[in-house]
Amino acid sequence: MPRRRRISALEDEPRGKRPRTNTASSRKRGKANPTAPLVETLDMTYSSKRCIAWFHEYTGPDEDTIGPEGMEKFCEDIGVEPENVIMLAIAWKMDAKQMGFFTLAEWLRGMTDLQCDSVAKVQRKLDHLRGLFNDQVYFKNMYRYAFDFARDKDQRSMDIETAKAMLGLLLGKHWVLFGSFLQFLEQSKYKVINKDQWCNVLEFSRSVFSDLSNYDEDGAWPVLLDEFVDWHKGQRSHNMTS
Amino acid sequence: MSMNKGKKETNKMRIRAFPMTMDQKYVDNIWALLKNAIQEIQKKNNSGLSFEELYRNAYTMVLHKHGEKLYTGLREVVTDHLVNKIREDVVESLNNNFLQTLNSAWNDHQTSMVMIRDILMHMDRVYVQQNTVDNVYNLGLMIFRDQVTRYPNIRDHLQQTLLDMVARERKGEVVDRGAVKNACQMLMVLGIESRTVYEEDFERPFLDQSGEFYRRESQKFLEENSASVYINKVEARINEEAERARHYLDNSTEDPIVKVLEDELISKHMKTIVEMENSGVVHMLKHNKTEDLACMYKLFIRVPQGLKTMCDCISAYLREEGKALVQDEGSKNAITYIQSLLDLKDRFDHFLHQSFSEDRQFKQMVSGDFEFFINLNQKSPEYLSLFVDDKLKKGVKGMSEQEIENVLDKCMVLFRFLQEKDVFERYYKQHLAKRLLLNKSVSDDSEKNMISKLKTECGCQFTSKLEGMFKDMTVSTSTMDEFKGHLQTSGTNLHGVDLFVRVLTTGFWPTQSATPKCNIPTAPRMAFEAFRRFYLAKHSGRQLSLQPQLGSADLNATFFGTKKDDVDASGASSAPKGGPRKHIIQVSTFQMCVLMLFNNRDKWTYEEMKSETDIPEKDLMRAVQSLALGKMTQRILVKEPKTKEIESDHTLVVNDQFTSKLFRVKIQTVAAKGESEPERKETRSKVDEDRKHEIEAAIVRIMKARKKLQHNILIAEVTEQLKVRFLPSPVVIKKRIEGLIEREYLARTPEDRKIYTYVA
Repeated sequence: MPRRRRISALEDEPRGKRPRTNTASSRKRGKANPTAPLVETLDMTYSSKRCIAWFHEYTGPDEDTIGPEGMEKFCEDIGVEPENVIMLAIAWKMDAKQMGFFTLAEWLRGMTDLQCDSVAKVQRKLDHLRGLFNDQVYFKNMYRYAFDFARDKDQRSMDIETAKAMLGLLLGKHWVLFGSFLQFLEQSKYKVINKDQWCNVLEFSRSVFSDLSNYDEDGAWPVLLDEFVDWHKGQRSHNMTS
Repeated sequence: MSMNKGKKETNKMRIRAFPMTMDQKYVDNIWALLKNAIQEIQKKNNSGLSFEELYRNAYTMVLHKHGEKLYTGLREVVTDHLVNKIREDVVESLNNNFLQTLNSAWNDHQTSMVMIRDILMHMDRVYVQQNTVDNVYNLGLMIFRDQVTRYPNIRDHLQQTLLDMVARERKGEVVDRGAVKNACQMLMVLGIESRTVYEEDFERPFLDQSGEFYRRESQKFLEENSASVYINKVEARINEEAERARHYLDNSTEDPIVKVLEDELISKHMKTIVEMENSGVVHMLKHNKTEDLACMYKLFIRVPQGLKTMCDCISAYLREEGKALVQDEGSKNAITYIQSLLDLKDRFDHFLHQSFSEDRQFKQMVSGDFEFFINLNQKSPEYLSLFVDDKLKKGVKGMSEQEIENVLDKCMVLFRFLQEKDVFERYYKQHLAKRLLLNKSVSDDSEKNMISKLKTECGCQFTSKLEGMFKDMTVSTSTMDEFKGHLQTSGTNLHGVDLFVRVLTTGFWPTQSATPKCNIPTAPRMAFEAFRRFYLAKHSGRQLSLQPQLGSADLNATFFGTKKDDVDASGASSAPKGGPRKHIIQVSTFQMCVLMLFNNRDKWTYEEMKSETDIPEKDLMRAVQSLALGKMTQRILVKEPKTKEIESDHTLVVNDQFTSKLFRVKIQTVAAKGESEPERKETRSKVDEDRKHEIEAAIVRIMKARKKLQHNILIAEVTEQLKVRFLPSPVVIKKRIEGLIEREYLARTPEDRKIYTYVA
C-alpha cells in the first residue's frame, strides 16, 4: 500500500473487479494492464527464480526494495486497490516492516508461503487471503501486525489519523460500535494510540456487547476505553432525552 | 437362702437368727406406731416421742422387707394431713393473712419433714435407693407442692398476692418483704432440683407484669421530655429492681428483671432518647454535660446496639462541627484553623475520658470523623505545617518547653489523620528551609525533636532530607571559618562587605522552579565571586548558584533629611533636629538591590528599577511595597504619587525624613502567611508529578517481586503501599500501568489480558 496515501475507503472487496478464474480464456485475454505479460505459463509449480524475476518487474534495475511506484503497479496487476484490506494480508504474509515497501527478503518469504510466483497465482490466492480475515486467530495476528506495520517507525505509537483509518479498515464492517468509537476519538484529546490500546480495542470489540451491558469497570481496560464507555453512555442518554 | 436349720445336734453356740419373717400383725403394729408418731409430729407434738424407738421400728420394717408398706403409708399420712388440715387452713385464710398462714404452714411442714426423715433414714438409704423412688424429704416437698402450693385456688392467689405486693412497692408503698422472701424461697425449694416451680408460679408472671409496668413507665418518663431526667430515672429504677431481686426475690431473678428493664426502658427508646430535642446527646455535647453522658453510656452499654446508637449520633454532630471548621474559609488563617481543630479534639478527648471511659468504639469513631473532615479541605496539610512552623519559630510567646512539646504531640495526632501526607512533607520542607536560612528556629533541639516524631510516624524516607538540611547548615559554618582564614592569608579585600554564605545541597532543599534572576550590585557581587573562587577550588566539579530569593542583607544607611516636626507624649520635643541619622537596615537580597540603586541616582521609576535590577515582577513588587508602603517606621522610600498601588511610571526616592527609635531596623516583607493561589497550584502540580513517580516505583517494585499479578490485586497492593503518604485513585494507578506497558516494563499475559507480567 502506498505510504503517503491516506486510506479513506472502507472496503475489503475489489470494486468491480472479480478475481480471475484459471481459465484459458481469461489467461488469453490478459489483464487490463497492458504492461503485464500476455502469456501465462502453465507451470503450476513454484520457482523462486521466477519469483525473484517477477519481483524485479516492480523495482528499479539494481534495487532490492519495491517502492511506492512499484507497489502501485503490483496492486493494479493483481487487481486489488492499495487500500484494500487484502494488501494487509499480503504484507502480513511477507512480514513487511514498512507500509508501502517490500524488500526482496520479505517478498520471497510471503510469496513462498503462498506458493506464488506470478500474478495469476496470486489472483488465485485472493479468496484464500480474504478468508483469513474470517478466522479469529489469523485475524488477531494480522490486526496486531497492522499496528507495527502502519505506525511511523521513529515513534512508538501510531498517530491518531492512521489509527482511525486502519481501525476502519479492520473493524469497520463487523464492529457495531465502530462509528461511535470513531466519533469519540475525534472529540477526544488523544493524538496517538499505543500498542496496548490498539490490541485492547480488538478485545473490546469482540467481548463487550454493543449496549456495553457487560463492560467491567475493573476489567483492566485501558483508560482510553473507560473514557469511551463513559462518553458513549453519556451520548446515549443525551440522545434519549433530547 | 439356706439356713442351717437341720443341725441341732451340735453343742456349739448358735446365734439365734432374727426371725426372717414377721407376721402381719407385728408389721401392722409397727406401722400403727409410726403412723401415730408422724401425725404427732405434724401436729407439732413431737416432744413426747422417742427418736430411738421410732428409728428402730422403721429400721425393722425395712429390714423385713416392708419398706413399701412404710413408704406408701408415709405418703398417705402426709397427704392426708396436708390436704385435710393444712390446705383447709390456708384456703380459709385466703382473704385474711394468707401469706402468713401459708408461710407458717410451709415452715411447719419443713420442720416436720426433717424429723420424719430422720426417723425414716434407713428407709431412705436402703429402700429408696433400691427402688429408685423419691426420698422422704423430697416426697414431702412434692406432696406439699401438689396439694397445697399448686392447689388452683392457692396457686393463683399466691401469685396475685406476690405480684400485688411488688406493684405496691414500686409505687412507693412499704410492704412485708420478709413474707415475700419466704414465699419465694418456698417456691425455689419446691422445685427440688430445679427452679421450675418458682419460674412458672412466680417469676414468669412477675417478669410479664414488670414488662407491662415499665412499658407504661417509659411512656411517662418520655413525656417529661428531658433525656437527662429520663436516664437518671432509668438508672434509679434498675438499681431498685436489682436490689429487690437480691433482697427478697431470688437472686437468680436479678438478671432477667434487669433485662426486662433494659428492654423496655432503653432498647425500645434508644433513638428517641439520644435524639431528643434540646436535651439529647447533641445538647449534652454542646453544653458539656459529662455526667449525663457518662450515665447514658453506662446504661446504653447494657443493650445491644446501644453504644452504636450513641456513637452514630455523636459522630454526626462531630462531623458537622468539623466540617464547619474546615470549610469556613474566609475568616481563618492557618494558625486559628489548626488551633480550632486542636481545641475540638481536646473537647472530645475530654468526653472520651470523662464520660466514655476511653471506650474503643468511641475512640475509633472520633478518629474516623476527624479523618473525614480534615481531608475535606485540601489546604489542611499546608496549614498544619504552618502551625508547627509558628510553634518552632523564635518568639513563641508564653509557652514553656513542655507546653510546646505537648502541642507538637497533638499536632502529630492531627498529622496521622491527613491523607495527603506527602503534601505536608513538601510544605514542611519549605517552612523548615525558611526557618533555618532566616535563623528563626527557636532551638535546634525542638526542630530535631519534631523530626524524630515524624520519623517515628513515617519512616526515614521522610526525614532523611530534612536531616540533610541540618547538616548543610553545620558544614556551611565551618566552610565560612575556612573562608575567613583564606581571606586573611590571601589578603583578599572584600571592600567592606561582611559576607556570610550558606551552601545548600540541591537534593535536600526545596527547589524553586527556576532561580529568579537578579542583578546583584557590584560590591556584594565581587565578594560573592571571591567566595565562589575559594569554594570551587576546594570542591572542583561542583556548581554554585546564588539564590537571591533566600538571602538577606544588613545595610548601613544614612538619612540626611531633618526629622518631621515631632512632639512626644510628654509634651517636650525629643531628639535634636538636623544632622544625618544612621541606621542599619535589615532587608532581603531583593530589597538590597533596590536600595543600593539610590547610591547611583536619587530618583528611580518603578520601570527603571525593574530593568536595572532584572528582578521578576512579583518579587520586585513585594520588595518595593514593603519599602515604600509599610508603616511609617518602615518607610525607607517615598513614592510619588502617594497611592496604594505601584505603577510603572511612579517614582521612588529615599525617605530622608525617615526616623526610628531603633538603630537596627528590620524591614518586614509583605508576605502572605500561606501561599498565594498560583503558588499553591504550582506546589500541587509538583506533588502530582512526584506522586506519578512514586506510583510507578511502587508498581515496579511489586511486579518485580511477584512476577505475575492480576489487575485488581495490583491496584490494591499499590494503594496499600502508598497509603501512608497519600491515597492514589485507581484511575491514576491504571494510567501509570499503561505508561509502564508502553515503556515495556510490564506486559499483559497473552492468555488473560487482566494479568500483568514483569518484563525483566
